[in-house]
Amino acid sequence: MTETRDYLLEIGTEEMPSAPLMNAQKQLQTLVARGLDEAGLAHGAVRTLSTPRRLAVIVEACATATEEIHDVKRGPAVEIAFDADGNPTKAALGFARKCGVEADALVRRTDTDGRTYVFAEKSIPSAPALPLLAALSERVIGSLEWPNYRSQRWGSEHAGFVRPIRWICALLGGDVVPVSYADVTSGNTTRGHRVLGPGEHVVAEPAVYEQVLESCCVLGEQRRAEVIRAGIASVEAERHGAHVDTPQRIFDEVVNLCEWPSIVVGSFDEAFLAVPHEIIVEAMLKHQRYFPIHAPDGSLTREFVIVSNADPAVNGTVRAGNERVVRPRLDDAKFFYDEDLKIGLETFRARLSQVIFQKRLGTMLQKSERMEALARETAMRATGDDELASLAARAAHLAKADLVSQAVVEFPSQQGVMGGYYAASQGEPAAVAEAISQHYRPRFAGDEMPEGAVGKAVAIADKLDTVCGIFAIDEPPTGSSDPYAVRRAAIGIIAMLRTLERVPLAALIDVALRSYAEQGIEFDFDATAAKVASFFATRLAGIAREEGISVDTIEAVSAVGVIDPDEFIRRARALEDARSNAPELFDDLATAYARAAHLADASLGSAVNETILGDAERALLVACASGERSVEDALAHGDYDAACKALAELREPIDRFFDDVMVMDEDTVVRENRLRLLNRFTEVFADVADIGCLSKK
Amino acid sequence: MNADALTFQDMISALERYWASQGCTVMQPYDSEVGAGTFHTATVLRSLGPAAWRTCYPQPCRRPADGRYGENPNRMQHYYQFQVILKPCPQDSQELYLGSLAAIGLDPAEHDVRFVEDDWESPTLGAWGLGWEVWLDGMEVTQYTYFQQVGGIEVDPVPVEITYGLERIAMYIQGVDSVFDLIWSYLPDGTPMTYGDVFLENEREFSAYNFEVANVEMMRAKFEDYEAECHACLEAGLPLPAYDCVMKCSHAFNLLDSRGAISATERANYILRVRTLAKACCESYLELVASRAGASGEEVA
Repeated sequence: MTETRDYLLEIGTEEMPSAPLMNAQKQLQTLVARGLDEAGLAHGAVRTLSTPRRLAVIVEACATATEEIHDVKRGPAVEIAFDADGNPTKAALGFARKCGVEADALVRRTDTDGRTYVFAEKSIPSAPALPLLAALSERVIGSLEWPNYRSQRWGSEHAGFVRPIRWICALLGGDVVPVSYADVTSGNTTRGHRVLGPGEHVVAEPAVYEQVLESCCVLGEQRRAEVIRAGIASVEAERHGAHVDTPQRIFDEVVNLCEWPSIVVGSFDEAFLAVPHEIIVEAMLKHQRYFPIHAPDGSLTREFVIVSNADPAVNGTVRAGNERVVRPRLDDAKFFYDEDLKIGLETFRARLSQVIFQKRLGTMLQKSERMEALARETAMRATGDDELASLAARAAHLAKADLVSQAVVEFPSQQGVMGGYYAASQGEPAAVAEAISQHYRPRFAGDEMPEGAVGKAVAIADKLDTVCGIFAIDEPPTGSSDPYAVRRAAIGIIAMLRTLERVPLAALIDVALRSYAEQGIEFDFDATAAKVASFFATRLAGIAREEGISVDTIEAVSAVGVIDPDEFIRRARALEDARSNAPELFDDLATAYARAAHLADASLGSAVNETILGDAERALLVACASGERSVEDALAHGDYDAACKALAELREPIDRFFDDVMVMDEDTVVRENRLRLLNRFTEVFADVADIGCLSKK
Repeated sequence: MNADALTFQDMISALERYWASQGCTVMQPYDSEVGAGTFHTATVLRSLGPAAWRTCYPQPCRRPADGRYGENPNRMQHYYQFQVILKPCPQDSQELYLGSLAAIGLDPAEHDVRFVEDDWESPTLGAWGLGWEVWLDGMEVTQYTYFQQVGGIEVDPVPVEITYGLERIAMYIQGVDSVFDLIWSYLPDGTPMTYGDVFLENEREFSAYNFEVANVEMMRAKFEDYEAECHACLEAGLPLPAYDCVMKCSHAFNLLDSRGAISATERANYILRVRTLAKACCESYLELVASRAGASGEEVA
């Protein structure tokens, strides 16, 4: 058994930013585990730990040396390995090369079978771990990456890291692993909390590393998260069911802004509760990383949670200081809001002529004009109610105005929300204010939708206008680039249309593109409409797949060209259900359909001469006629189960037809009449599904 | 106000003394209008080239569009920064910085001091760096940046720039809510001279000037004239006067902006013109001055 010891690498730095730090910690785990394996060092568990000022990896039971390797391989027999002159043959050279030894290092030996062969013997002596770990550590530090960020240089050094490295603690058991990177050389010390455990602290061996950290007031990221969660839980408990809002990204940042967290509760002036809570909450969360406290009924309170990194003894100073800071922040928010209220949405809207929506698609003012027409159309189709359509148009008219309000310039993620407040305060109907407020929804797949039909109409208008515009200028999203988030927009539109079943998507695309054309944007109308429709079809297929409908069913339904989300999904589901109820029948039908479609010659048409039909043919013709009627009837009622059932009834007659009838008769008249009958048969399916897709297994 | 707190001028002196003791050359503000302490030649141009350099100085900054006629307790068109440059940045720059807080009465052990990611980029200077805004009990008191590029040129060695927001820190130390209530100094009889006594009239008049009076045609002409002058200086191999012209252009642009005389497309174009000049000055300074100084330094070594 090789001797083992724990290995520690701590990269001590100046304060690293949260997201790159979290990413690097993940990389560190992988890089070290892989590096140890490659170096041939056996090891136990690999753990990592981070604080804003350090990235550390602790490896349990790392071998202090690699295993000695003694490898013997038998090659060709001697008489094959050497020619008459005793020179190695191609066979010997090939064997040597394969084994990684020189040909003259091959040895001759008699094996148990009595024959003499050449052998390649390779011995790699055991190597001590220390130099391997030194090289590994340096390589790991240099190969951490900073995606979506960059690294920096410092001092006179040319090596980079996310922030300057100030110390390296690298140990194998009690021995320092000699590591150097930029201007730093490793030692056996770590550094404590800046004020609670300042200076260097000796780490006797990796096993005590975390104890040493704790003794100088430094906790790893998991412990810090626990301490903060526990602190927040007791704040909530003390306030009997209050709720502290801790969005994950801000929470992560807060965890990565301290080494020794303590919880402090501050409060702001009552007067600020009169300001829209959304901007108060955002000012606290985003600008100050405070967590707002909500009362048990969900309403915002004046209190907020501060996570301090200072000595808990100075919590009073920290609270007072933070309360002083939040005041001008909230003052600003209140000032912007009050000023915005004085201006009014129509005035703001006029200023949208100065805001570019998209270089080639014009200004935000033009967008809001297009949205107005589209929202009216959408609401009218959805509700059939003139009044609601007018409300939707009004909301769309004002929806983008708040983009130039001071509050939204300062708090961009409150776009829409602020517009809702301004609309309400200038006496717009509640439905208009609500629609403006919610028209950016859904912001992501599964997000809440606007509550009412008016809001949905405006949200659809906003998103569909963007999708159509981007296709009109032929800049569709690519795998890596979707700057206007049109994929997300399309998914949002689909989600909303599924709740508004009477709204035909193709008609809306038409209205949207027409507005662009009227505005003077030049594009090929029909080609663009087709591209947009196919873009939606692809999204729809994706959604249907996510909902468990099988790929061939989706393909069969897609072939019909339906893009109305609700109808598409209901058709797909009906066919999927029909198939699963009678799998054999549909397999059979699909095969027959594929055969018919394969033989069919569209140029012959489907006018069958009934007088020359045999029994099986006549039976099929009758079934087609009644199938056509049933399908038409079912589709008219949106009853897709019935449509599938009607198709299923064609199975017997078509099977009988193929069993009894030889389609390719020598007599042209007979043959063509039979082909016309098959055309008639496939036509029954045309508006339901391309059943042939189901036969391609 | 806190009785034992430093006055505004004592705070500046304390910072100067502290950084002087760390080997900084104590300089005076650049004697032309600048938008930030960074624009001083002692920062921008001295960041270039191999020579070591340490300096500190207070810098009045002019941001015409930020004026509020002296009516906002936190916003002004003229305010102070205190600027420190350490080149190359030493290993203990953060500790030195924390020491400077203690020197103005803010013992880091008694406050919550954080280094919060805030990277810096100046399109007009073609410069960027990584660093933090420093929070003291939640308040941003300092911008802390490791320059990586200035004038589009990689800096080597790397300077660290430490920029204190003086009024904000003083308000915190003195415990006042309006900048105009800050105590700047005391008369012999103990009567306080406030920041308002010194600068309130200045804020009122300059806000009016910046927003209502400044002669737009003259500012446009001034921009053109100084732009041409900058090129003339560069042709004569004089990067320092050329850079001086860039600051004049920049201020003229800021006044045009506060007068609302610049459209969105014009604005981008003006910024591009300033950047072009600034980069040319940096390149000229590196070629004619900073590299030369470095080369002679290497000969000595």
